[in-house]
Order: sequence, then structure tokens, then C-alpha cells
Amino acid sequence: MDDVNGTDDLDGTDGEAVFDGDVEAGLLEEELRQAAAVLDPLPPGLLQIAVDAYALHDLDARVAELTFDSLVDAIPVRGATDTPRMLTFSAGEVTVDVEVTAQGLMGQLLPPRPASIEVLGGPQAGAPLTADDMGRFTADTPPSGPFALRLRTGRDVVVTEWLRA
Amino acid sequence: MRTGTVPSAAYDDVPYTRGGTVERTEVGALVRSAADGDAAAWKAIVEGLGPLVWSVVRAHRLSDADAHEVYQTVWFRFAQNLGRIREPDKAGAWLSSTARNECLKVHRNARRLMLTDDPQLLDRVSEDGAPEQSLLEAEEAAAQSERVRRLWQEFEELGERCRQLLRVLIASPPPSYQEVSAALGIAVGSIGPLRQRCLRRLRARLESRGTTWTT
Repeated sequence: MDDVNGTDDLDGTDGEAVFDGDVEAGLLEEELRQAAAVLDPLPPGLLQIAVDAYALHDLDARVAELTFDSLVDAIPVRGATDTPRMLTFSAGEVTVDVEVTAQGLMGQLLPPRPASIEVLGGPQAGAPLTADDMGRFTADTPPSGPFALRLRTGRDVVVTEWLRA
Repeated sequence: MRTGTVPSAAYDDVPYTRGGTVERTEVGALVRSAADGDAAAWKAIVEGLGPLVWSVVRAHRLSDADAHEVYQTVWFRFAQNLGRIREPDKAGAWLSSTARNECLKVHRNARRLMLTDDPQLLDRVSEDGAPEQSLLEAEEAAAQSERVRRLWQEFEELGERCRQLLRVLIASPPPSYQEVSAALGIAVGSIGPLRQRCLRRLRARLESRGTTWTT
């Protein structure tokens, strides 16, 4: 009896030790989760911005995907600082090349054609630009923060994928 | 602990799946509803997964300004692509990996890089924790604040890998391992062991400061 009990106790203790480790880890993680909720919570303003972002769900527009980003795809030139950010977006046959510098934004719509363009910074209406007959457009100020371009040519609307300048 | 595995996708086949997956079984349906014009569904997605996106961003140690912009960019892009998300059930993983990619871009763009050692963060509790009730409550609250402050400080000083992993894991509600994997680019199978190890290390740090840390 004693032996059996002893063995049982031993097994039980072993099992418990492992289990306790898991439980303790879980408790510590949970306490850390609560600390994060106090010390580093999601700012309420950001939550609201994300709720409002639903307006950006645009059924009429085609999304031009980012296909080249100099930040990722280009090898930086040694010693060069403040190099322009080169971006290429594509939606089917439409290509938009964009160059962002501290001075502003330059772009080229291909195939070349005139377009009315909006520089979006969020769900609100953006600053208007115009692409000339050669499909070229410029803005005097660089976008700050997240941005997207909404290009309208005739009935075709293309919006570039959102990213940060 | 090892029950309740949901055999839905290849990499869901992990012995230890967590609450996040269960609480988020409806994400796929919500994404489809939102894509069809249901604003309430969108709001539910944002409320359910916003804290996860924030945790992923915070795990990558960006400046506050960068963190805010990355967070917005992720949600703007999600809204933009709502109807095109290939696996709506995995919206959490989509958001996590998008957040990760944007964070890595910030790091690449060295001009913007600025570490948030953020000493104010550590002071915040003591500032906020000014209780107006009885002295006893005040003392309890002060002790609790001190405990939270210490815990957070030790967490911040963990090695970078552990700090990063835990910062994502402590999102609320807890993320699935699939989401953690997408957030940090680590294999689902290694998350459980790494988690155990990092929490052990955190506990050891807490206890090395003299007192035992009972949870």
C-alpha cells in the first residue's frame, strides 16, 4: 500500500511539476498582458482611425500593387543620404512610377495619358493633382505619413496600395 | 493543454493552439460581411485585431510617430484590399505580416530609426496611480503599481528576441501562433518552446532582484 501510494505520489508530483510550470508561465504571461494594457495600450485615437478607414474600402477602384520599392529592392548607394524613394505600382496594363523626395513628389503614369489625381492621406479627400498629356505629375510637398494616389482617367479609377512615404 | 487542436489548415496542426484562434473563428465571416458593406462587421474586426496590430508594431521598437503611421498604413491597406483577401479566416495573420513588413521598412530607412527607450513609459504608472480613496487602498495601489512597473522594466530589458516575442504574445485577446508567426517571421513550431524559455528568463530576472515573484 505504502509503496503504491508512494509511487502514485511521486508520479503525481512529477506531473504537477510540469503542469505548474505551464500554469506559472501562463500566469506570468497574463500578468504581463495586463501590464501592457496599462503601460502600452493601443491609443484610442488609433482605434478610431482604423474604424474610420472603412471608408477606404472602394469597390469602384482597381488597386495598383506595389511592384518596386527602392527601400526594399534597390541596393543603397554608399554614402548617399536622402536618396529619393522610388516606387512602382501596377494594375494590369497601368503602371505608375513615383519618386518621393524631401522636395515633393514626381510621377509618371504609363501608358502616358492625362489623369486627375488625388493624393490621399486617409479617408478624407486628398490634394488634387493633374497628370499632363504625357502622364507626368508633380506635387510641391512630399506626402507625410501614409499615402495613396487615386488616379482617374475617363471611367477608369486606379488607387495605389497604401504605404508610408 | 494538448486538446482542442483544430485540423483546418496545414500549419494549424500544432499541438498547442491558443485562445486567439477560438475567439477569432468568426473573423472570416466578419471579413466577408465587411467586404459586402457591413460597417458593424468592420468595426468588430478593428476592435478584435487592432490590439494585435499595435502589439506587432510595438514589438519592433519604432518611435511613437512611426508606430502610429505604420498602424494606420496597415489598416488603410487592409480596408483597400478587403474584397481581395484570399484567406479571410487568416485576416489576423495578414494584418500581422503586413505590420511586420512595414516595420522592417522603417528599420531599413535608417533616417527614421529612433529607438524608443521611452523612460516616460516607466513613470506612467506612478503618475497615473494616484489613488484618492483610503490610505490602505492607496498603499495597495502603490504596491500594485510598483509591481507592474518592475515587471515591465524587466520585460523591457530582456534580450531583443524574447522582448519581441512576448510583446506580440501579450496582445489582448491572445494571438494564435499562426498570427505570431506572421508577425515575427518565425516558425509556428518554435513559438511554444521559445515562449516557455522567455517567460522562464523573465521570471528568473524578477527573482534575481531579491524577492520571489509569485503569480
